Parts: sequence; C-alpha cells; structure tokens
Amino acid sequence: MTDGTRLDYELAETTLDNGLRVCVQPDPVAPAVAVNIWYEVGSYDEDPSRTGFAHLFEHLMFQGSSNVASGEHMALVEANGGSVNATTSTDRTNYFETVPRGALDLALWLEADRMSSLAITDANFAAQREVVKEEKRQRYDNQPYGNLLELLVAQHFPSDHPYGHLPIGSMQHLDDATLDDVQQFFSDWYRPSNARLVLSGPVTPEEAFALADKHLGRVPVLERPIHAASSEPALPARNVTTHGAVPHPLVYLSWPAPPAAHNDHLALDIALSILADGHTSRLHKSVVRSQRLAQEVHAASLPHLRSTSITTLMARPTERVDTQRTADALRQELCRFAEDGPTGEELARAVAQYERDWLLQLATVEGRADLINDAWLTYGTPHHVNQHAAELAALEKDAIRDAVRHHLLAEPSHLHYLPTEVSS
Amino acid sequence: MNRPTVSHSAGWHFPEPHVSTLAGGMQVWAFDLPGQHIAAMEVVLPTSLATEPRSVEGVATVALHAVDEGTLSHPNGRISELLELQGAALHGSASQNHTRLGGDAPAHRLPAVIELLAEVIQQPGFAPGDVEHHVEMQVAAFDSRIASPGWVAKQALRQVLFGDDAREGRPAAGTPQTLGAITRDDVLAWHGSQWVGGDATLVVAGDLTGLDMGAALAPLERWSGTGSVASRAPAAERPAQVVLVDMPDAVQATIHAGCLTVGRRHPDWAALKLAGHAMCGAFASRLNLDLRERRGYTYGVGGGFTARRTDGQFFVGGSFRVDVAADALRRLLDGLRLVEPFTAEEVEDARRYLVGVAPLANETASDIARQASVLAAVGEHASFVNEHFAALELPTAKQVSAAFRTHVHPEAVSVAISGPALTLAPAMQAAGLDPVIVS
Repeated sequence: MTDGTRLDYELAETTLDNGLRVCVQPDPVAPAVAVNIWYEVGSYDEDPSRTGFAHLFEHLMFQGSSNVASGEHMALVEANGGSVNATTSTDRTNYFETVPRGALDLALWLEADRMSSLAITDANFAAQREVVKEEKRQRYDNQPYGNLLELLVAQHFPSDHPYGHLPIGSMQHLDDATLDDVQQFFSDWYRPSNARLVLSGPVTPEEAFALADKHLGRVPVLERPIHAASSEPALPARNVTTHGAVPHPLVYLSWPAPPAAHNDHLALDIALSILADGHTSRLHKSVVRSQRLAQEVHAASLPHLRSTSITTLMARPTERVDTQRTADALRQELCRFAEDGPTGEELARAVAQYERDWLLQLATVEGRADLINDAWLTYGTPHHVNQHAAELAALEKDAIRDAVRHHLLAEPSHLHYLPTEVSS
Repeated sequence: MNRPTVSHSAGWHFPEPHVSTLAGGMQVWAFDLPGQHIAAMEVVLPTSLATEPRSVEGVATVALHAVDEGTLSHPNGRISELLELQGAALHGSASQNHTRLGGDAPAHRLPAVIELLAEVIQQPGFAPGDVEHHVEMQVAAFDSRIASPGWVAKQALRQVLFGDDAREGRPAAGTPQTLGAITRDDVLAWHGSQWVGGDATLVVAGDLTGLDMGAALAPLERWSGTGSVASRAPAAERPAQVVLVDMPDAVQATIHAGCLTVGRRHPDWAALKLAGHAMCGAFASRLNLDLRERRGYTYGVGGGFTARRTDGQFFVGGSFRVDVAADALRRLLDGLRLVEPFTAEEVEDARRYLVGVAPLANETASDIARQASVLAAVGEHASFVNEHFAALELPTAKQVSAAFRTHVHPEAVSVAISGPALTLAPAMQAAGLDPVIVS
C-alpha cells in the first residue's frame, strides 16, 4: 500500500429493492464503523430564487422524524461514543456518523427514520433558519475576504446558472423559505433511489447488507429524480477590482476547468502542486524568492460534477507592488512551465506529496467512507478509490505539461481584492 | 420498528511506547502501530516563550518556520526538496510552553526521513533572506489575525486572564513591532540556546516492522545540551473582567469566556472534563441546546476544560448576532451558575462520549503522535491517557456538579467580546454587565 500502486480495498456493492445503493468496505481492525450517506442533491439543484435551501434542509434533517425527537439524532450518536455531522456542497449533501460496532444498528435505524419521514415544527424550523443565518455570518459575513468565493464564482457563472451561487445562499432567500418549501424539497430529493450508503469498518458485507435492508430497505420506493441539465457558462474572462475591510491586497487568477470526472484533473492537480504548493514550488521560487514580487502564492480547485469547474492561482503581492504586476509575473512563469513541463524530480516530489495526503485521508474509516462515496458519485463506481493511486503513479511529465497548456494558458479572469484605503 | 439497543464493548487502550534515551539525552518514544503505513514524528522542545527577549517576541515562531528553508549541507530550499522526495511533510508550532516540529511520511522511508529531519534540527542555515521572509510572513499573519473577530476575542481573553506583563498574555507569535526587530542573529541565538537535544523528546508512531530504529536514530544520537524549561508555577490569579473590543463593522458579537482552574493532576480533573462536556462540549450540551437549538442565537456554543502545563482552563464561547448578544451572554453566565445540578443522565452521556470516542480520536499514527507529544511537552508519560480514561469511569453526577461549582465561580469568569461597541455596550449595560471598552 505504500508504493501507491498496490492499494486494493475490498469493496462489496449491492442495491436494495427500493433503489438504495450500498457499498461496504470491511476493515476488521478499525475501531468503529463509518456510516456515510450521500444524497445526490446540492445547491446546484436549488431554484436560483431559493438559494441556501439544500444547506438549510441539511440542518432540518436533525430536527426530528417519526420516532426521533428534535436534536436527538446527534445527541444519541454522541452519547454512544460516536461522532456525527453533515455537509452540503454544490452537488451532494453528506450525512455521516462514525459509531462503535455495537451502535451500527442504531445508526442505520436513525438514518432510515429520517429518510422516510420528517417531523419539523414551525418553532424548530424558525430556530434552524436563524442558526443557518448565524453560520453564514460566522463563516462568511464576519470574516475578512468573506465574500471572496462568491466573487470568484460570479466571474465564471451568471447568477441564474445552477453553479452561479454558493451553497450557503443569501440571507433574503433564507428569510423567504417556508415550511411548505421544506416538505417539497424532501419529497423531491430525499428518497432511496437518490442516495448512496457507504459503510467502512469492522462489519462483513453480509452483516452490513442485512442491516441496511432491515432498516433502510423499508423506506418506500420512489423513482430516481432527474437533475436539470446545465449549459457551459462560457463567460469571457473578466477583470474585477473590489475593495473591502481586508488586511492585504490579493490577486486571484482563475480559469474554467472541465467537470470533476474529466481525465485531466489529476494531471492538473499535480501541475498546481508543482507550481504553487509550498516553498519548493516553481512560483514560490521565481515570483516570491527570486523576483520578490509576492510574499505568498497558492493554488486551489473548485470542482463541479455537472459543468465547468474553477481553477485558481492567488498571490499576495510584496508591499508596494501592484497586483497586476504580480499577476503578470505569475502568467509569465506559467508560460515557461507550459513550454518545457516539469522536471522529472518536480514530478516525483509532487507525486510523493499527493500520495501521502491521499493515504492520510484513507487512514480513518470516516475519511475512507467519504472518499469512496466521492468516487462513486464522481466516477460512477466506488472502485475508483482503488485505481487512483495507480493513475497517479502512471502520470508522465508530458501529461502535466499538456494539462497546463490546455487549461491554464487562456486569458484568466483577474480578481484584485484591495484594502479599502488603497486605490488601485 | 423498535429503536435498536446498543451494545457497548470496553477494552480500548492508548498504546504503550518503547521508551529509550539517546547518548545526547533525548528521549525517544516509539509507538509500533502495525498497519499504519503513514508514520508520524514529533520533536518536542519544552522551551517557553517567556524565555524570548521581550524586544524580539516572535523569534521562536520565526526560527521554527525558517528552520527547513535550507541547511548548511543543503541550502536554498534543497533540504525541503529532499524531504518531499521521501514523501515527507513537516509542520510545527511554537506555543507558550513548548515548541514542536513534526512530520508525516511513509513508514518504510523513516530512516531516510529521520536523517533529513536531524539535519534540519541540528544545522539550519537561516539565510538572511529566509529570516527576512518569515518575519514578513509573521507580520502579515498578525495583520490577518487582528482582522479576525475570533482571534481578537481570544487574544483579549488571554490578556485579561494573564495580564500584559505575563508572556502568556501577549501574542504568541509577537507583534509587528517585536517581529520587525528580529535579526538573523536573534534567530541563531534562539536556535542555539533552545533547540537542544538534552531536554527534547522525539515521538515516532507508525508501522515500524522491519525497521532498525537504532540505526535510524543514529543521526540524532549525539544531539545534546539543555535549555530553559517552561516554569511549572501556575499562573497568578487576577480579577475577573468583562472587556469589549470594538470592531465597528462586525456583524456578530464573538464571545469568549473563561477562567483558570486546576489541572490534569488534580483529583477533580476527570469530573471537570465530564462537567465541561455536559455544560458546553456536546452538541446536546446545556448551553448549545439553549442558545442554538432552542433560541437560534448562534451557529454553536463550544468549550470545556483544557489542561495546561500544571494548571488548567475553563473556556466557553460562541458567535451571536448583535441584537441578541447581551441576552445570550446573560443566559450563558446564568448557565454557569449550575442552579440545577447535572443529572445522572447528562453525566452518563458525557462519560460514554468521552470514553467511547477515544478510539476514533486515536485512529491514526498522527493522532497517537500528537497526543503523546502533548504529554511529553508537559513532562507526563503516555500512560496518563489510560489513567485518565480509568478516572472518567468513577465520578457520580453529584461529584461532577460539586467539582464544577468548586472550580468555576461565575463571578470569577472573565469575558472578552469582539464586536460593534456602539450597539453592544448599551445592551450589555442594560443586561447588568459593564464591559471595559477597548478600541
């Protein structure tokens, strides 16, 4: 498992009669079982005049069902020595708990109860709406650069595109949400045929399938919902300057990238790592260390399942250096990289780093179950987790160079984020 | 369908390390964890930031961050490239009472990685340009922190609890003024006097099958010397205060409250850990249920008791929208009065969580190394973890309530708030709190 190419987890799959897909990764020595359900619904599926709804709904899934009181799901899992949470992204809503083996029966029963019924009251609906608004304030509105992601997304998608808003949504739309909307959203998306369950830990496939069937198998069958098709946004590259109460000027270059499952993504990730990951990276050596035009450089990707993803490079310019000058230096270095590609050693370093991070994510049952579900949604098969390391080991220098040529040489959008008192 | 019952299995134990001492004096804790193919290392230096000269505070942080930029044998970043080629990544922290330099790497590559790590520790180059760069990075990080309401409230609480005259009351990574005064000589002097092997502990955790650890550790065998070890005296008591740091544009009040308490070796420690979880640690804690789930005032309330070197600290905090913040704080402080004692059910739930989640919290080699390094830093042995879990089984609800009431007096709890003073100050005064306003 340590040379990257021999990773081979046992994975057993089945589909229950009601359409729920189940995958089990037995690990007899793991300390607990990870229960990980991905519902294939996210902010992509929201009405653009009802943003933030998928995430608000995620909170409501903890507010009670036929046989479970409000807040009891989390309290029960914690009181049995487990950890529990949920997250919402553009393309999926993820509910997960990691529990001692003796509490697996209970965890699946809890998931089944809320997959089949909701028992939201006006009072706890109103309270959770406020909780979500406080989450938005705490994580976005009350943070320096809190609207950065929103600004980046707006450079690539019109506001009525399914990817044109963030999962956290808008305050106005959260205020407008009604209990009827909640019931409708549940009916539309929360059904066995729209979910995937992954279990990882000390449970055999036979035991796991029987338990899943006993609890989740009784949820009524409903047809798999259809996701709206989306077009390529095809917005031209834009140059935007924004001011805010922020400590430093920053510049973001961003490009459209293919959807998450595209073959180029691994090569592009490795290219970004060679370019901007840490003090040994190309851009750090040239733009920070040698030219002294920036103090730090980073790269990031925002993958989307059904349409264009976003790739970014950011820099914090050296004091008194203009953001545009720093951006130009980044692009010059990109062009150089696109000519020659990486050296053999650069590729080897990036691959070794990627492999370690990948294995670290797989080292916990919680992380592993999540990556299996991610592979399942993105690539259509959970077995992709077993191929990923081999694909990594097979990458060649030319593939890295070509990924940069295809995806990072076009004119990028520029976002100059400047402190209020500094004029551009 | 009836609710399934849960069967509890006992029997998890924190692993025992193989402990040895190298010729130069460094202790080695080696945890052999079969199946953990990504190994973790932590070098723990029990040095205190109180040793930093006051004019160059932050020098410990700058020295730590610049240490792997280049060595005498492999300058200009080459040492980092060699580490990367081995699949290793380093990380570290310079906290008030110890400095840690750690890393993760494939276990079978440990001998090569330890050799490179030894070079980083023993012969960093600290090139002038690298020191300058890391000073700038720390100044920028300071500017980012003071723009963050969470850090502002956290630092204000530290200032109240420890005072400006104590190193612990001042920012761990220095201020732009002290950072700006740091020269390469200061960094060399700090490294020379504090990065010494005689007091250090190396924690290694991972699948060590087939590795000759004796040979792997040879490059650190003679690392020696003694530096300053953090004081074991508990922090001086100071009067409680409520301070409000004005952040006019903030859209929330970020509230951090707390007090100093007894520490991990006090007989009440296990009872306090249970109390803290029931009060503000769990999702279903008293304060989170009231302020989040019932009232929708906040995304969440969190807190509990944390052990320090000798004493401990109680902390509770959260971010609240401005118009309910005074009411939230009033309710939070009222909750700490513990008018209704903890019920047997609350204590049992806390116990089952804290004991039951331990195997999950210690699932990977990095989890084990991190936990062990925290104990090494304060002069404890790794067996403390198992002693603590045994102790958690004992306290009754009555004892847990009594311990909380003995060690947390609401009138002795200090509060730091960051947010818009214009709105918050009158509301706090109306609620019977009289904050000192800091701009």
